[in-house]
Amino acid sequence: MATRSSAPVVIGALVVLVLAVAPMGLSPFLTQFLINLFMLAALAESWNIIGGFTGYASFGNVAFFGIGAYTTGVLLSVLEWPFALALPLSGLVAMAFAALVGMPILRLKGHYFAIATLGVAETMREIVYNLKITGGGTGLTMPITKNPLPFFYLMLGILLAATVVNWWLSASRFGYGLVAIREDEDAAMAMGINAALYKTAAFALSGAFAGLVGGVFAYWITFIDPEGVFKVITTIQMIIMAVFGGMGTVVGPLLGALVLASVSELLSTHLVSLAELFNGIIVILVVLFMPKGLADAIRKREFSLRQLARNLREYRV
Amino acid sequence: MLALQVLVNGILLGGLYGLMALGMSLIWGVMNIVNIAHGALIMLGAYVTFWLFTLWGWDPFLSLPATIALLFVYGYCLQRFLLNLIVRAQLFLTLLITFGVEVVMVNLVRIFWSSDLRQVTPSYAGANFGVGGLTVPYVRLWVFGTTVALSVLFLLILEKTRLGRAIRATSEELRAARLTGIPVAHIYAVTFGLGAALAGAAGGLWGMLFPITPVMGGGLTLKSFVVAVLGGLGTMMGAIVGGLVLGLAESFTATYLGPTWPNAISFGLLVLILIVRPTGIVGRKG
Repeated sequence: MATRSSAPVVIGALVVLVLAVAPMGLSPFLTQFLINLFMLAALAESWNIIGGFTGYASFGNVAFFGIGAYTTGVLLSVLEWPFALALPLSGLVAMAFAALVGMPILRLKGHYFAIATLGVAETMREIVYNLKITGGGTGLTMPITKNPLPFFYLMLGILLAATVVNWWLSASRFGYGLVAIREDEDAAMAMGINAALYKTAAFALSGAFAGLVGGVFAYWITFIDPEGVFKVITTIQMIIMAVFGGMGTVVGPLLGALVLASVSELLSTHLVSLAELFNGIIVILVVLFMPKGLADAIRKREFSLRQLARNLREYRV
Repeated sequence: MLALQVLVNGILLGGLYGLMALGMSLIWGVMNIVNIAHGALIMLGAYVTFWLFTLWGWDPFLSLPATIALLFVYGYCLQRFLLNLIVRAQLFLTLLITFGVEVVMVNLVRIFWSSDLRQVTPSYAGANFGVGGLTVPYVRLWVFGTTVALSVLFLLILEKTRLGRAIRATSEELRAARLTGIPVAHIYAVTFGLGAALAGAAGGLWGMLFPITPVMGGGLTLKSFVVAVLGGLGTMMGAIVGGLVLGLAESFTATYLGPTWPNAISFGLLVLILIVRPTGIVGRKG
């Protein structure tokens, strides 16, 4: 758990300042990479709210991302609304959906919850595929914008907001309530925490950020289809970044996104056909060697092969 | 008449779904692993059958024992040397690692065998017969018969043999099983091997009815979930009942709602059943 000292805030402010002026001098390639990085990091932070703090491992958060993308998509290309109106609505629709779906499925635990969320995401993909207004399987095309800078700042802004919310969770009554639910739900309820309300609120918050990211993504990428925005691997990326960095911490998902996005960018520029294979291998290696995350290793100041070997032995049968 | 034909189609397909879910239910029940790679194992089984047929001309029904044996060995090694390392971790970590295994398998197959659509087409592939106005393709009927035979064989192994008792004991209480001298790591690996073998058999049969691609498994993993959850997890009879229910549901939606709807219906059914009755149709509480 991150403590509330001033050092991270100062460092954070400096990083944001540098990032805010950076795109003036960046190459187009680096700008695209950073937009993508902010997107992944924001998604990881949003997953962290429900998966990390609350301990409900959602395998369907891509549903919120996809719903956000399609809300913006339909409003922009079918109804021709301005983007400034469409984007907030993306967040709201995803949030409302998360709250509605969350109420029944958050009663499930463990594998049952994981599979139910996976089922929700797959069902959404199939429904969007079958609807007329969403363009069915052919997808939607957005008006093209040449300038990537708005997307850069929007993604950065969403990432900042998501990080601030995570930071607030790490030291607030609401956040402590979520952690209590993660550690022992019955005990939390016995202490007077309204678990159903807390869990639903966390899920909705998580959904809102994923929806916003989806909305920006749709306009940025200019073309969306059901196969592209409801990919299971997108959820898995959120999880693996949060796990690799450190679940339930504020900086963990950021670290995880930074490292994994860089690695996969390097790999995919050099070995396009093997990029996905490496994604799979990374998932396996992270689970085997770093199940507690980088943030844990940094806090214990323990970076050694012995530590990795210990992680490997811990859950063996 | 149409309704009756749809009913028959649904039952014939449902048997195959039941066989798929049997392996998943076994692995879930014994080791508490939600095996996301299950569909990839089905895919591998389909490819093994396809290559045996294409390269050496082996009949897809007669080559099933070879497919089953290969997938058993593969599954055994996967559990023994990889999944056993992480099997006692938090639930969602085991789920993640099997997802990683799936991605690796799918991409290796894509790289080595390409993404082309493949089909197993023995000489009798298109033959069918009519009974009182119904049309029944021979292949579908034989596939159904084989799934029933394999399911019965599997249930006998689980219920009547020493190995089956060891598996059931391990699933009930890991520590006690170890204390009575059961080699737990080995039993886990055998269990996963059996699950993989069942998936491989289902894949071999699937390849006779539908096209084979490296990515065919993703949807099948979910369908196996649907079936396992529908019937009730861990109960082997549940998998078979669930398979028939899903086969019928899909067959009827495809006919009466349109061919793009069955997936939406089956995944929606999954969520609904989990919410309304997490123990499944024939499952018990707890």
